Amino acid sequence: MTGRLDMSLANDVQEVARVIDSLEEFGAAHGIPAEQCLRFGLALDELITNIISYGLAGRSDGIIVLAIEQRDGILHAELGDNGPAFDPLAAETTPPAGDIESRDVGGLGLTLVKSFMDRLDYRRVDGFNRLTMEMKVKAA
Amino acid sequence: MTSLNHETVNGALVLKPSRRIDSSSAKAFEDDASALLDKGPKKVVIDATDLDYISSAGLRVILTTAKKAKTAGGGLTIACAKNNVKEVLAVSGFDNIFGLHDSVAQAISSLA
Repeated sequence: MTGRLDMSLANDVQEVARVIDSLEEFGAAHGIPAEQCLRFGLALDELITNIISYGLAGRSDGIIVLAIEQRDGILHAELGDNGPAFDPLAAETTPPAGDIESRDVGGLGLTLVKSFMDRLDYRRVDGFNRLTMEMKVKAA
Repeated sequence: MTSLNHETVNGALVLKPSRRIDSSSAKAFEDDASALLDKGPKKVVIDATDLDYISSAGLRVILTTAKKAKTAGGGLTIACAKNNVKEVLAVSGFDNIFGLHDSVAQAISSLA
Protein backbone atom coordinates (compact mmCIF):
# COMPACT_ATOMS: atom_id res chain seq x y z
CA MET A 1 0.00 0.00 0.00
CA THR A 2 1.31 3.44 -0.85
CA GLY A 3 0.46 6.81 0.57
CA ARG A 4 1.88 10.29 0.75
CA LEU A 5 1.72 13.20 3.15
CA ASP A 6 2.88 16.69 2.14
CA MET A 7 3.32 19.47 4.66
CA SER A 8 4.52 23.04 4.57
CA LEU A 9 5.81 24.15 7.98
CA ALA A 10 6.01 27.53 9.64
CA ASN A 11 9.36 28.54 11.14
CA ASP A 12 8.12 27.76 14.66
CA VAL A 13 9.06 24.91 16.97
CA GLN A 14 5.36 24.39 17.81
CA GLU A 15 5.04 22.89 14.34
CA VAL A 16 6.85 19.78 15.58
CA ALA A 17 3.72 18.68 17.45
CA ARG A 18 1.65 19.05 14.27
CA VAL A 19 4.18 16.97 12.30
CA ILE A 20 4.12 14.11 14.82
CA ASP A 21 0.30 14.22 15.07
CA SER A 22 0.03 14.08 11.26
CA LEU A 23 2.55 11.27 11.10
CA GLU A 24 0.57 9.27 13.68
CA GLU A 25 -2.60 9.70 11.59
CA PHE A 26 -0.69 8.73 8.44
CA GLY A 27 0.72 5.67 10.17
CA ALA A 28 -2.67 4.58 11.49
CA ALA A 29 -4.17 4.93 7.99
CA HIS A 30 -1.38 2.88 6.42
CA GLY A 31 -0.96 0.15 8.98
CA ILE A 32 2.40 1.30 10.34
CA PRO A 33 2.84 0.27 13.99
CA ALA A 34 2.54 3.28 16.32
CA GLU A 35 5.90 2.65 17.97
CA GLN A 36 7.68 2.83 14.62
CA CYS A 37 5.82 5.99 13.64
CA LEU A 38 7.09 7.60 16.82
CA ARG A 39 10.70 6.57 16.01
CA PHE A 40 10.34 8.21 12.64
CA GLY A 41 8.67 11.22 14.25
CA LEU A 42 11.55 11.55 16.68
CA ALA A 43 14.07 11.79 13.83
CA LEU A 44 11.89 14.43 12.14
CA ASP A 45 11.49 16.29 15.45
CA GLU A 46 15.27 16.51 15.90
CA LEU A 47 15.98 17.61 12.34
CA ILE A 48 13.14 20.16 12.14
CA THR A 49 14.10 21.56 15.56
CA ASN A 50 17.68 22.04 14.32
CA ILE A 51 16.47 23.85 11.20
CA ILE A 52 14.21 26.17 13.21
CA SER A 53 16.66 26.77 16.08
CA TYR A 54 19.77 27.33 13.94
CA GLY A 55 19.44 27.41 10.15
CA LEU A 56 16.34 29.59 10.00
CA ALA A 57 16.62 31.31 13.41
CA GLY A 58 15.26 34.85 13.22
CA ARG A 59 14.34 34.58 9.55
CA SER A 60 10.90 35.65 8.34
CA ASP A 61 11.46 34.17 4.86
CA GLY A 62 12.15 30.65 6.13
CA ILE A 63 10.64 27.80 4.11
CA ILE A 64 10.37 24.23 5.41
CA VAL A 65 8.71 21.51 3.37
CA LEU A 66 8.18 17.89 4.28
CA ALA A 67 6.98 14.97 2.18
CA ILE A 68 6.41 11.55 3.74
CA GLU A 69 5.71 8.40 1.72
CA GLN A 70 5.37 4.74 2.37
CA ARG A 71 6.59 2.47 -0.44
CA ASP A 72 7.48 -1.21 -0.43
CA GLY A 73 7.61 -1.49 3.34
CA ILE A 74 9.83 1.55 3.72
CA LEU A 75 8.88 4.87 5.25
CA HIS A 76 10.54 7.72 3.32
CA ALA A 77 10.73 11.40 4.10
CA GLU A 78 12.22 14.32 2.29
CA LEU A 79 12.81 17.40 4.39
CA GLY A 80 13.75 20.65 2.68
CA ASP A 81 14.65 24.11 4.01
CA ASN A 82 16.09 27.31 2.56
CA GLY A 83 18.53 27.94 5.39
CA PRO A 84 22.31 28.14 4.89
CA ALA A 85 23.88 24.95 3.54
CA PHE A 86 24.17 22.48 6.41
CA ASP A 87 24.81 18.76 6.14
CA PRO A 88 23.65 17.23 9.43
CA LEU A 89 25.26 13.93 8.46
CA ALA A 90 28.69 15.56 8.39
CA ALA A 91 28.17 17.23 11.77
CA GLU A 92 30.21 15.72 14.53
CA THR A 93 28.34 13.63 17.06
CA THR A 94 30.26 12.75 20.16
CA PRO A 95 29.33 9.72 22.22
CA PRO A 96 27.44 10.67 25.36
CA ALA A 97 29.66 11.03 28.40
CA GLY A 98 29.85 12.70 31.77
CA ASP A 99 27.78 12.76 34.93
CA ILE A 100 24.77 14.91 35.75
CA GLU A 101 26.93 17.96 36.39
CA SER A 102 28.99 17.88 33.21
CA ARG A 103 26.61 16.21 30.77
CA ASP A 104 26.03 18.14 27.58
CA VAL A 105 23.09 17.19 25.37
CA GLY A 106 24.36 19.11 22.33
CA GLY A 107 24.62 16.83 19.32
CA LEU A 108 22.45 14.20 20.95
CA GLY A 109 19.56 14.85 18.57
CA LEU A 110 21.63 13.89 15.54
CA THR A 111 22.97 10.83 17.34
CA LEU A 112 19.35 9.70 17.79
CA VAL A 113 18.55 10.40 14.13
CA LYS A 114 21.51 8.35 12.92
CA SER A 115 20.71 5.55 15.31
CA PHE A 116 17.01 5.27 14.33
CA MET A 117 17.13 5.73 10.53
CA ASP A 118 18.23 3.01 8.11
CA ARG A 119 19.36 5.43 5.42
CA LEU A 120 20.07 9.16 5.30
CA ASP A 121 21.16 11.27 2.37
CA TYR A 122 21.92 14.99 2.15
CA ARG A 123 21.98 17.19 -0.94
CA ARG A 124 22.11 20.94 -1.51
CA VAL A 125 19.81 21.76 -4.43
CA ASP A 126 18.85 25.23 -5.73
CA GLY A 127 19.45 26.99 -2.42
CA PHE A 128 17.68 24.29 -0.38
CA ASN A 129 19.00 21.72 2.04
CA ARG A 130 17.34 18.41 1.11
CA LEU A 131 17.57 15.52 3.52
CA THR A 132 16.19 12.14 2.54
CA MET A 133 15.40 9.66 5.32
CA GLU A 134 14.35 6.03 5.17
CA MET A 135 13.23 3.57 7.80
CA LYS A 136 12.20 -0.03 7.18
CA VAL A 137 8.75 -0.74 8.56
CA LYS A 138 8.64 -3.97 10.50
CA ALA A 139 5.43 -5.93 10.85
CA ALA A 140 3.75 -5.35 14.21
CA MET B 1 -1.08 26.31 37.96
CA THR B 2 0.75 23.49 36.26
CA SER B 3 -0.69 21.20 33.61
CA LEU B 4 1.89 18.53 34.38
CA ASN B 5 0.37 15.58 36.27
CA HIS B 6 2.13 15.14 39.57
CA GLU B 7 1.77 13.90 43.12
CA THR B 8 3.90 13.72 46.22
CA VAL B 9 4.63 10.23 47.53
CA ASN B 10 6.67 9.79 50.71
CA GLY B 11 8.18 13.23 50.24
CA ALA B 12 9.18 12.54 46.63
CA LEU B 13 7.76 14.56 43.77
CA VAL B 14 6.38 12.15 41.16
CA LEU B 15 6.01 13.77 37.76
CA LYS B 16 3.79 11.97 35.27
CA PRO B 17 4.16 13.49 31.80
CA SER B 18 1.66 12.23 29.25
CA ARG B 19 2.09 11.37 25.55
CA ARG B 20 5.17 13.27 24.44
CA ILE B 21 7.99 15.49 25.58
CA ASP B 22 9.00 16.87 22.19
CA SER B 23 10.57 20.14 21.08
CA SER B 24 7.24 21.92 21.31
CA SER B 25 6.34 20.74 24.83
CA ALA B 26 9.76 20.52 26.53
CA LYS B 27 9.75 24.12 27.74
CA ALA B 28 6.37 23.72 29.47
CA PHE B 29 7.63 20.56 31.21
CA GLU B 30 10.75 22.38 32.40
CA ASP B 31 8.78 25.35 33.73
CA ASP B 32 6.22 23.16 35.50
CA ALA B 33 8.86 20.88 37.02
CA SER B 34 10.89 23.86 38.18
CA ALA B 35 7.86 25.52 39.82
CA LEU B 36 6.99 22.25 41.62
CA LEU B 37 10.57 21.80 42.85
CA ASP B 38 10.56 25.34 44.19
CA LYS B 39 7.90 24.20 46.66
CA GLY B 40 10.47 22.10 48.51
CA PRO B 41 10.74 18.46 47.41
CA LYS B 42 14.28 17.33 46.65
CA LYS B 43 13.60 13.88 45.24
CA VAL B 44 12.03 13.59 41.81
CA VAL B 45 10.68 10.51 40.05
CA ILE B 46 9.65 10.70 36.41
CA ASP B 47 6.80 8.20 36.11
CA ALA B 48 6.94 7.46 32.37
CA THR B 49 3.91 5.12 32.33
CA ASP B 50 1.95 7.44 30.00
CA LEU B 51 4.93 8.75 28.06
CA ASP B 52 5.11 7.49 24.46
CA TYR B 53 7.92 9.65 23.25
CA ILE B 54 10.85 11.78 24.33
CA SER B 55 13.20 13.80 22.11
CA SER B 56 16.61 15.29 22.87
CA ALA B 57 14.81 18.50 23.91
CA GLY B 58 12.99 16.34 26.47
CA LEU B 59 16.25 14.81 27.69
CA ARG B 60 17.66 18.30 28.08
CA VAL B 61 14.83 19.41 30.38
CA ILE B 62 15.05 16.21 32.43
CA LEU B 63 18.74 16.94 32.88
CA THR B 64 17.96 20.52 33.94
CA THR B 65 15.39 19.21 36.43
CA ALA B 66 17.88 16.63 37.73
CA LYS B 67 20.55 19.28 38.26
CA LYS B 68 18.09 21.40 40.19
CA ALA B 69 17.11 18.45 42.39
CA LYS B 70 20.75 17.57 42.97
CA THR B 71 21.66 21.13 43.89
CA ALA B 72 18.86 21.02 46.47
CA GLY B 73 20.47 17.89 47.95
CA GLY B 74 18.23 15.29 46.31
CA GLY B 75 18.13 13.49 42.99
CA LEU B 76 16.08 12.28 40.05
CA THR B 77 15.30 8.87 38.64
CA ILE B 78 12.93 7.34 36.09
CA ALA B 79 10.25 4.64 36.43
CA CYS B 80 8.05 2.59 34.09
CA ALA B 81 9.56 3.68 30.76
CA LYS B 82 8.08 2.13 27.61
CA ASN B 83 10.30 0.65 24.90
CA ASN B 84 10.54 3.76 22.71
CA VAL B 85 11.47 5.93 25.67
CA LYS B 86 13.91 3.31 27.01
CA GLU B 87 15.63 3.21 23.65
CA VAL B 88 16.18 6.98 23.59
CA LEU B 89 17.45 6.86 27.18
CA ALA B 90 19.85 4.05 26.23
CA VAL B 91 21.25 5.75 23.11
CA SER B 92 21.85 8.89 25.18
CA GLY B 93 23.33 7.04 28.14
CA PHE B 94 20.69 8.64 30.39
CA ASP B 95 19.60 5.18 31.58
CA ASN B 96 22.92 4.85 33.39
CA ILE B 97 22.95 8.38 34.78
CA PHE B 98 19.45 8.31 36.24
CA GLY B 99 18.60 4.64 36.55
CA LEU B 100 15.45 2.97 35.25
CA HIS B 101 12.99 1.31 37.61
CA ASP B 102 10.03 -1.00 37.06
CA SER B 103 7.83 0.77 39.59
CA VAL B 104 7.45 4.19 41.16
CA ALA B 105 7.88 2.63 44.62
CA GLN B 106 11.24 1.12 43.63
CA ALA B 107 12.28 4.43 42.11
CA ILE B 108 11.46 6.31 45.31
CA SER B 109 13.39 3.88 47.50
CA SER B 110 16.40 4.17 45.18
CA LEU B 111 16.56 7.88 46.03
CA ALA B 112 16.39 7.33 49.78
